[in-house]
Amino acid sequence: MKAEIQSEALRKFVEVSGSIMNPELRAWKDQGRGVVGFFCSTVPEELFTAAGLLPFRMRGTGSTNTELSDAYFSSINCSFPRHTFNQALLGEYDFLDGLVCINSCDHVRRIYDNWIRALKTPFVQVMSLPRKVGDPQVDWYTDELNLLRGQLEEHFGVQLTDERVAEAIELQNQIRGLQKQLYLLRKADKPPITGAETLAVMVAGTAMPKQRYKDLLTELLDELEGKEGSRDYRARLMILGGELDDPAYLEIIEEQGGLVVTDSTCFGSRLMWTPVDEAEPDPIRALARYYVHDRPSCPRMYGHQPQRIAYTRELAREFRVDGIIGERLLFCDQWVVENYMTGLDLKEDEIPFMPLDREYVLSGEGQLRTRVQAFLETLEARGS
Amino acid sequence: MDRDAVREKSLARYKQERDWFVLLREGTKALPGEEGRLQEKLLTILLESKETVVDCVENEKPFIAGYFCNAPELFHAMDLPWYMLMETPFLAATAPYLASDIEGSENMGIGTDLCTAIRLPIYYIENGLMPVPSAVLGLLYPCDGAPMLHQVLEHNKAWQGVPLYGCDPPYTSDERAVEYFADELRRMADFLQKHTGKTLDMKKLVEVCEESNRSYTLWQEYNELRRSVPCPHGWEIGGAQAFAISQCFVAGDPRCTDWFRQLYKCGELKVREGKGASATEGWKEKIRLFWFDIMPYGWIFELMPWLEEEWGAVIVMDMFSNFPYTLIDTSSEKTIFHDLAKRNLLDAPMIRQARGTAENFAGDIRRIVTDYKIDCVIWPGHMGHKDGAATTGIMRETCRELSVPFLHIGLDLFDRSYTSPDEVRGKVSEYFRGMGLG
Repeated sequence: MKAEIQSEALRKFVEVSGSIMNPELRAWKDQGRGVVGFFCSTVPEELFTAAGLLPFRMRGTGSTNTELSDAYFSSINCSFPRHTFNQALLGEYDFLDGLVCINSCDHVRRIYDNWIRALKTPFVQVMSLPRKVGDPQVDWYTDELNLLRGQLEEHFGVQLTDERVAEAIELQNQIRGLQKQLYLLRKADKPPITGAETLAVMVAGTAMPKQRYKDLLTELLDELEGKEGSRDYRARLMILGGELDDPAYLEIIEEQGGLVVTDSTCFGSRLMWTPVDEAEPDPIRALARYYVHDRPSCPRMYGHQPQRIAYTRELAREFRVDGIIGERLLFCDQWVVENYMTGLDLKEDEIPFMPLDREYVLSGEGQLRTRVQAFLETLEARGS
Repeated sequence: MDRDAVREKSLARYKQERDWFVLLREGTKALPGEEGRLQEKLLTILLESKETVVDCVENEKPFIAGYFCNAPELFHAMDLPWYMLMETPFLAATAPYLASDIEGSENMGIGTDLCTAIRLPIYYIENGLMPVPSAVLGLLYPCDGAPMLHQVLEHNKAWQGVPLYGCDPPYTSDERAVEYFADELRRMADFLQKHTGKTLDMKKLVEVCEESNRSYTLWQEYNELRRSVPCPHGWEIGGAQAFAISQCFVAGDPRCTDWFRQLYKCGELKVREGKGASATEGWKEKIRLFWFDIMPYGWIFELMPWLEEEWGAVIVMDMFSNFPYTLIDTSSEKTIFHDLAKRNLLDAPMIRQARGTAENFAGDIRRIVTDYKIDCVIWPGHMGHKDGAATTGIMRETCRELSVPFLHIGLDLFDRSYTSPDEVRGKVSEYFRGMGLG
């Protein structure tokens, strides 16, 4: 299922999301400017922007095997870090001037340990993200961000003043606002953009210069204004889950007739549904509060399950969702339990829910098609 | 299931588990020597702890659910009975109902790649098999599964309304991290006082901490004995029991100290006489193993005796046996909480390794291989230990630097059907032969 719009901006976003070293990134590097990679959406990319660096959200895009990283990880590890680290070992991330890791999950946090032993990236840090979401945790994370600020200043020779951080927050908030506008277009009966295309737009936002991205996104929104997409779909779907950066996965779902109209994923709505509080006098604290407490959380954050299911219900209602797919990377202990609880909660609401395990690199496409078809048939049977 | 139904059902299960330990204790009476008496004493203390919880449930007295790494000295000082939410896989994995419980947990639709030690308590909570306490101390580390278990607990209707506090774990291990965790423990103590009606008497806490210091000092001295060749004890007595008695029932109780004193005496006698674990068994120590995890409690009797008898392979050290436990400075409230934070964040087994960076794994291997004259490091590769699985390369490299063989098996410590004992024995034999060990 493709949107009918012909957009140069959209074409660029698809191009940027389809590889690691994309043309926009190459142009940035050719200007002699720095890039810092980071894992997980809880790392405040605003700090890198404020330092004049390009924040690059780490992915394993283009990976075909884990031949090299298998010496570091094991077969019960998630395929996302295995593929991403394999790409790094192959030299795909040699362009990085720095890397910031975080204790996001048991699999991804070990990338830091393996990276510092196997690779020579000049600046590599690991941050300590709290599990809880209360005030003491906001205090802790504020300290963590201030430490990172000092490390960035020292290594990259920049001054990360409050003013510069506030400017970066303002820019990122503007981007969030535009991304949300894009999402809101999908409430329509005939959304002008598909779920797969939207994901490409979102991924591109983590892999190219921010101002350029904002300009292109504004252009895309102008192009989409007043346009209608296809009504030729069987059901309106929501995707719930974690690390999902491959639009091809959603394309397969949409090819079966399930139009993805919204999501709660790490590259999706959770990145931008709420803005950072610009009224907070200390911009570092504003970032800490945002990433620990304010933004829609993932199951990594303890104590927010009621808020998470409320967020899911709110999106499902607003976007008139017929059913929800809970995608989960194999061996993820967080999402397997979250999906279990979500299934129980949505059953009470009579919202159909299908948990779906997957590997990071698209595989088992036939099985995916079959599962989605069966789910769509269930939804259609309910509607008839 | 409502709270009353859970109360009845969980009490029946809890008593069933208690009765299993009664049976085990009867069995220990037939065990020879002082080591046999140690096992018996341990089970007596365990049973007393279980009886206390039964009494609390039946008579509606305050009790809590918590963990060994929640500073159990505080519970003891507050005279607060407790049980561990992961008690069955950790302490009662030999119970006859474990296999059917595992099957039940699989049938719930939670992925079978989720750690069995997490999946089982989820099954117990969702099926009303765990007593609902007055308050819960959650565990938000060292793995992803633990906080998820507690989110299920809060989600479950019968448990809703039970107050829960979990200390937030920093990922780092510096002084800032310790101070932060000490504050979390202080808030935990306030939480316990608020929700159980018990009070924390600092004088009592000082007594408990000093007693636990005596226990830990004896444990450390006992561990020095295990450096001897041959090692005075094998898998049957030592670390697992020392962990249980110091951290799982009544931390800081004089009976625990007595138990350690007796353990030390047994070990010392064997060392003095030059006797190893095999003294009366007809085999000799040939391979000194570092088993870098908890024991395979679900099927321990199908592997550990075989290791000794078939290969003369003695578990000299394991993950739960030896750590440089912080002794608590009892000079002030501040030092007590500071050192409890260190002990529970940086020393407690499995927490110590898995909570933070991989250097914690590598450092332990370096120290233990050197100090205990280890011939082979075995990383069992429990299916739930995902962070450890992602550290396999680092552990292997560390062992290579030390010129000591490293074996990664891949198993489930509780579920024998994941990798069968036969397969494990075959893999170990093949490796020992290949490396010219034994």
